[in-house]
Amino acid sequence: MTNSTEHFDTFLAISAWLTGYEPVELQGTGMVQTYYSTLRENITAIDLDAFFAESDFILAKAQTDVDAAKVRTASHLMQNSSFNSLGKQIILMWYIGQWFADPSGDPNNSVQINAQSYVEALMWPTADTHPPGAKEPGFGSWAVKPVSVDTFNVTL
Amino acid sequence: MTEKQYDVVVVGSGIAGAVLAKVLTQAGKEVLMLEAGLTAGMALKPEEDYENYQSYLQRFYETTIKATNTPYPEIKDAPSISVLEIQPQTPYETGYMVQLGPLPFGSDCLRAPGGTTLHWLGNVPRMLPNDFQMKTLYDQGVDWPICYDDLMRYYEMAENEIGVAGDVDSQQGPDMSRSNYGPDYVFPMDKIPQSYQDQVWIKSTNGLDVSLYGKTYTVNCISMPQGRNSTPNNDYRYADTVWDPASQSLNLITTDKNYEVVGATWNSYTGERCEGNASCVPICPVQAKYNALKTLKKADESKLDIITKAVASRVLIEPGGTDVAGIMYKAYTDPDSIEYTPHIAKGKIYVLACSAIENAKLLLASNVANSSDQVGRNLMDHLVLLTWGLLPEKGYPYRGPGCTTYIPTFRDGEFRKDFAAWISPIDNWGWSWPTFAPGSDVTNAVINNAMFGKDLRSHLNADVPRQTLLHFECEQAPCADNRITISEKYKDHLDNYRPVIEYDASDYMRKSFKAAKHVSDQIFAANNIEDHTIYSPTEADYVTWDGQGYTFRGAGHIVGTHRMGSSASESVVDKNQRTWDHQNLYLVGCGNMPTLGTSNPTLTMTAMTYQAAESILKQLESNN
Ligand SMILES: Cc1cc2nc3c(=O)[nH]c(=O)nc-3n(C[C@H](O)[C@H](O)[C@H](O)COP(=O)(O)OP(=O)(O)OC[C@H]3O[C@@H](n4cnc5c(N)ncnc54)[C@H](O)[C@@H]3O)c2cc1C
Ligand code: SF4
Repeated sequence: MTNSTEHFDTFLAISAWLTGYEPVELQGTGMVQTYYSTLRENITAIDLDAFFAESDFILAKAQTDVDAAKVRTASHLMQNSSFNSLGKQIILMWYIGQWFADPSGDPNNSVQINAQSYVEALMWPTADTHPPGAKEPGFGSWAVKPVSVDTFNVTL
Repeated sequence: MTEKQYDVVVVGSGIAGAVLAKVLTQAGKEVLMLEAGLTAGMALKPEEDYENYQSYLQRFYETTIKATNTPYPEIKDAPSISVLEIQPQTPYETGYMVQLGPLPFGSDCLRAPGGTTLHWLGNVPRMLPNDFQMKTLYDQGVDWPICYDDLMRYYEMAENEIGVAGDVDSQQGPDMSRSNYGPDYVFPMDKIPQSYQDQVWIKSTNGLDVSLYGKTYTVNCISMPQGRNSTPNNDYRYADTVWDPASQSLNLITTDKNYEVVGATWNSYTGERCEGNASCVPICPVQAKYNALKTLKKADESKLDIITKAVASRVLIEPGGTDVAGIMYKAYTDPDSIEYTPHIAKGKIYVLACSAIENAKLLLASNVANSSDQVGRNLMDHLVLLTWGLLPEKGYPYRGPGCTTYIPTFRDGEFRKDFAAWISPIDNWGWSWPTFAPGSDVTNAVINNAMFGKDLRSHLNADVPRQTLLHFECEQAPCADNRITISEKYKDHLDNYRPVIEYDASDYMRKSFKAAKHVSDQIFAANNIEDHTIYSPTEADYVTWDGQGYTFRGAGHIVGTHRMGSSASESVVDKNQRTWDHQNLYLVGCGNMPTLGTSNPTLTMTAMTYQAAESILKQLESNN
């Protein structure tokens, strides 16, 4: 049985690896705890243990050989058969703010996690913008390039 | 049960009802307003107003599938049409509207205090002079009983009330120039800045020659006048519209002071400028965008009684006469219960301002104002053909108001004899309308293509900011068979009728889809936009023309169900918007419009509502 903080560090690290965002950026959303709890509510402890064991393995590999870690991720976390698409569920949760019950089966079966998960969904900063209805950038901001672009740390 | 007799009973608190309540009470008349929606939305006390509005915003954030009505309460006793109920296959009766087809009607409206302006976009171009003479000039539809010049002064009142931001001098296009506005006229506020994406577009689109059926048209891109706050224009000199008993007319009075921006209903310092929330549809968090509650707040409270949770159900006629004797409404306590108590509202004059669909329904249910058999007929909308693609460079969409620039080039021309004219707003919100982007871009990349990590992030960052979308909002011509009816079979929770819709897109419309796509192809080519438009036979409102398929979408511009005309046999209201059949019953709203033009309808409808208010005041005073 996992306790409530076990795997928390792995969750943050694998979230960063899967989303392409730095851990500090993810922490900056204030959503890490909420999403970690969402996982624990929806996935059995046994499945989580197995998923995080594989995640630890990939993260360790990424320290020395990024390409090999990517290949391993593709084959062990991103297949529909991998942990019932849990890797995909985590990415979608971060990018869209919704929990997809069955991403590879019925992609329309999702629920908004809460109001904050809408506001903090990563798809908005990824698209060089802000969530509609929140984090308003100010009068006339849309007439110039988004300010975030200059500071956006994408050396991807 | 009978109650106090008012000068005027107004049903509905949308922009049409709110303008009447404001003008009539300020002219000293006693007004009763009936509103089907919940009391909290009426926004009368700042603190409760703020809290209620925040609950709307919260509901918007929390809801998984976000649609136009999402932020607002769903009430069974006064259901609203939802775009989420639309299905490709007709007939169906699963939503509030019963859709008999052959095509589903694709627009919605909102039953709540403030009405549909809570979730409108706020684009407010005027109609063109030629739009009022479609029969004479192009042998299509009907002529209006009034012309553009008749409406000019009322347009100015409507632009004052809505608080239009725009640039008059740039309003240039077919049948449109400075002369449409008069020599010195300016809008209350400077134009809303045009988006960065617009500027990318303008480079290769402004001045572009496109060909269509052997004719060349030079495309231009101009700023969109809109009902959202920007910087006051120092040259604007109008204060407010005021009734002058001596001349028996409404007049815009002038002032030395600058235009005063109208902020949020709960705090006038909130929303003094559009802050770029980019969520105007369905909710502007700061109310920088105009909504009807702003107008309602300016009514003289001492002369206005508002009854909420009151669903007008029947217009009652004097036994043996033709005058309206009262309006029967059903008052509910619990919005989802079938319990109600019937009441009768009494006034000297009655005005229905419930929006085109509900007005028509109420008239049909009461069997009034329909000697012409036109009630419910000629239902119209802009049929919106969307085309979308990827710009060669980032235009940075998903920022600012929905539209800041439009192409007026095909709003008027001889081609209107053959196919429908259209207006082309350039959309600032990426592919969100046709594809539910950017969520769908994420699901596609992650679920279908198993992308992750920095590759995923850079893929989305490279593509989503290049998304661009163009609208072709085609003017639907009136057709008697596009209509709303009622049936004993279809009732709602309070035993009121549900709207039953028959709807189709004529050849005149389908031809314009073909023409529009042809124009889009040329504009996309000139801008090196990679076309990603897909029209799928499985979508609602997919139609074919000349071997090609097109999907159109509803614009929310619900028009024409109780049209105005010059004879009692062919129209429901006269040019003063009084019903031909009942001397004390007026109708207001887009239902009165005989044809649609290519402009978003609300500004014109609001101008017409000022005209109706003037007629009502004259009638009240002549009876005294
Ligand atoms: C998504 C969307 C975007 C839009 N964007 C634009 C735009 O950019 N520009 C533009 O010009 N137009 C736009 N429109 C159209 C515009 O919103 C409407 O034309 C306008 O709001 C209609 O105003 P109204 O007062 O006639 O009716 P409504 O605003 O619909 O108000 C009707 C009122 O009557 C009440 N009511 C209804 N039935 C009853 C009853 N039986 N008893 C008592 N009360 C009742 C309702 O609760 C409501 O308060 C848009 C519409 C939509 C849906
Ligand atoms: S862009 Fe934002 S602030 Fe401006 S009107 Fe729209 S929602 Fe309101």
